[in-house]
Amino acid sequence: MGAHLARRYITETETEPDPAKPFGFDPEFGFGERKEREMVASQAQMNLAQVPVLQRDYCAHHLIKLMKCKRDNWPNFLACKHERHDWDYYEHQDYVMRMKEYERERRLQMRKKRVEEAQAA
Amino acid sequence: MAAVGFRNWARALSRGKQPGFSALFSQIRAASGPSKGMLPGPYPQTPEERAAAAKEYNMRVEDYEPIPDNGEGYGDYPQLPDRSQHERDPWYSWDHPDLRRNWGEPIHWDFDMFIRNRVDTSSSPVAWHTMCKHLFGFVGFMLLMFYLGEKFPSYQPVAPKQYPYSNLHLERGEDPEKQPEEVKHFNI
Repeated sequence: MGAHLARRYITETETEPDPAKPFGFDPEFGFGERKEREMVASQAQMNLAQVPVLQRDYCAHHLIKLMKCKRDNWPNFLACKHERHDWDYYEHQDYVMRMKEYERERRLQMRKKRVEEAQAA
Repeated sequence: MAAVGFRNWARALSRGKQPGFSALFSQIRAASGPSKGMLPGPYPQTPEERAAAAKEYNMRVEDYEPIPDNGEGYGDYPQLPDRSQHERDPWYSWDHPDLRRNWGEPIHWDFDMFIRNRVDTSSSPVAWHTMCKHLFGFVGFMLLMFYLGEKFPSYQPVAPKQYPYSNLHLERGEDPEKQPEEVKHFNI
């Protein structure tokens, strides 16, 4: 925890990726074949469910199911454990994907640096 | 008293030294103010005048020092130390405990400012320069830390969150006619 900050600001200032900047490498590079992310809820469905804009991500269909469950079971606030767990699990998977993307970017940057140093030598 | 004022006014008008209007203001005073004997006299020039003024203000001649004459019209009013009533002994049995003053004591020119509800000239609990150092040191340190926090932000080692539909082009309220650039997201 925090090793990336030490790398970014002290030890490896050139290769550590900056999340504020867009990642430049080709998404297919290094993969044989990559599956595209599938968006299940349509824009019309998200509009009808009044999902907040920042929560309209790739897990929105689980969120809509959860909202429906809560709305149907009110005032029993303990009723939607399964739907909540599903949404949480997919949000977690999304976060893990973000971590993997960061790590991929970092490794590609280091590889690029190694290649450049080998060419210069 | 009004008759005296009227007589003086008539005399001033008949003398014709001053225009009639301002003569009115020089001779007549409202009854709400101090009477003539209670106002300060002119600045004392001779030692006898000093002694007389000191007696008038119920002070010792050694203690009496008039306010320096700078043309502002203080007259012979004494210059008393600019100390508020907060600094006086709270345990002594004053004649007026709230005002911490004894009967007949000479009153400071700004006495109404120095009462215990208002201006307090007593010393601060810690020396002034120490308080300044502590305050500005703390504020300066916080400003420095905030600046460093802007230059070197702390973040989690994750890529930015991915949103569908061209980064929610329509939901963010962008132009619906304009074609957004194609954004593709992949599983990893």
